[in-house]
Amino acid sequence: MELFLMTITTGIMVGGIYALVALGWVLIYKCSGVLNLAMGELTLIGAYVTYSLYEAGLPFIVAVLGTLAVGIVLGFLCERIFLDKLIGEPILSVIMVTVGMSFFFKGVVQFIWGSDTRVFDPPVFSLHPIEIGFLRVSSVYLWSFILSIVLLLIFVAFFKYTRWGLSMQATADDETAALSLGVSARFVYAAAWAIAFMSAGVGGALLGNINGINISVGYLGLLVLPAVVLGGLNSVPGAIAGGIIIGLLQNLGGTYLDQYFPGGVKEIMPFAFMAVFLLFKPYGLWGWERIERV
Amino acid sequence: MDTVESILKINNIEVKYHEVILVLKGVSIEVPRAGIVALLGANGAGKSTTLKAISGLLGTEDGEVTDGAIEYEGRLIHHERAANIARWGIVQVIEGRRVFEHLTVEENLKVGAHLRKTGSVKEGLELVYHYFPRLRQKRNETAGLVSGGEQQMTVVGRALMTEPKLVLLDEPSMGLAPMLIHEIFNIITKLNKEEHISILLVEQNAKLALNVAPYAYVMETGRIVMDDNSEKLSQNEDIKDFYLGLTDKGGKKSFRDVKHYKRRKRWLS
Repeated sequence: MELFLMTITTGIMVGGIYALVALGWVLIYKCSGVLNLAMGELTLIGAYVTYSLYEAGLPFIVAVLGTLAVGIVLGFLCERIFLDKLIGEPILSVIMVTVGMSFFFKGVVQFIWGSDTRVFDPPVFSLHPIEIGFLRVSSVYLWSFILSIVLLLIFVAFFKYTRWGLSMQATADDETAALSLGVSARFVYAAAWAIAFMSAGVGGALLGNINGINISVGYLGLLVLPAVVLGGLNSVPGAIAGGIIIGLLQNLGGTYLDQYFPGGVKEIMPFAFMAVFLLFKPYGLWGWERIERV
Repeated sequence: MDTVESILKINNIEVKYHEVILVLKGVSIEVPRAGIVALLGANGAGKSTTLKAISGLLGTEDGEVTDGAIEYEGRLIHHERAANIARWGIVQVIEGRRVFEHLTVEENLKVGAHLRKTGSVKEGLELVYHYFPRLRQKRNETAGLVSGGEQQMTVVGRALMTEPKLVLLDEPSMGLAPMLIHEIFNIITKLNKEEHISILLVEQNAKLALNVAPYAYVMETGRIVMDDNSEKLSQNEDIKDFYLGLTDKGGKKSFRDVKHYKRRKRWLS
């Protein structure tokens, strides 16, 4: 029983980080209809940027804020350099460009930081687990989860209550109508990329704290894809729920199924679940079904 | 027409899609400040394209003004970005009630206000609710799920939130019940009178349009074929025949007599 509860808590907490990365994915899809396959690399870059700032002697929380700032800049740059010229081109071309970007970023990251695994040194979070009642949670997970949730809340509030957030949602809904009101599509895309970069970057930094940072953090970004699809490609609450579900499945799979299917159950659980789930709910949890009026 | 200052002057524009398809072949229209002008014409005459040329939305459809000029308040705008044109006070209400379906009615309105100063958003909302009291009741409902008339009101209200000087209305009556059409047109006339907003109205329903607008243009296959005071236009034999569905005697037309294809329009030479 205790093992079960522990597994669940850990799952939910890792899920929080996945949700953060998933948010970036959803945003770009929502605003421009593009599935950004470079998302894993955005996560990777975020992890390394935080690491570098931290190693330069900044406190971790400042390093995270720095990563957010760098994320904004890189997001805007990406949009301007790679994607601005593609507005109005077929979606598939844009998706292919993101594949290209993913290779490019991977190369740049290896060029700058090399391919050895790096760990935050000194460790950011204490190695002693925190005890809540009879539950023992390692503090990395707990703090990562809290930080993720805070950031998610900030982003959600941004969409709901600020004019920029609303214009982004409006553009996702009906681009031409938004344009007719003076919403600048370029700005909306750039903002979507900036926020995606920020959320994925911090997600990467947190994941890096758990496992150390090397190129495989980028694959974790790809692992978030089932979370996104599960939640419904264009739903922010869906991304959050999807992230947590994936975190849970991974940990449950790892704890209980690994003994029967040793190897990679943890990694394929999310994908298998996604495939089955989509049979029954093809739009995901809260994806947009077209509102049809009869 | 010449005596009043005009807010918008379209001077003999030509519009091409994809650099080859010539859609407008010399269209000239003038909208007086704080006036209403109607633009009539059948399907495919180029009315919506004319509006998109003004608002700059042509760009998203790979269309371009290749000749002529559009002058708005002394500024040439036919090569500007849609976002800039909207900032200067032109807003187009696209046909087909394009609400942001997944936002609430009030959020829809707020998107319209995204260029306003923060403090004045509330004022704007109050103004919209003053003209469209029904929207106040529906403010927190999802816009995709309110009735067609309310969606049309939302769309017009949203345009109003941008503090426009010139509204381009594309077929506000489409697919609405007669009573609602009446209501919406009343409000539009009121907006014009009380807020001094200029309106360029595109309509298929010619009778309605000629009632609301004192001056009208008639378009056919990419050209302006006629323009005059609405009174004179509604007396014109061809307009009566082709747009108002009346015979020479002013009675309802019997479909037995209709032989469209034999009768030649007098403006075609």
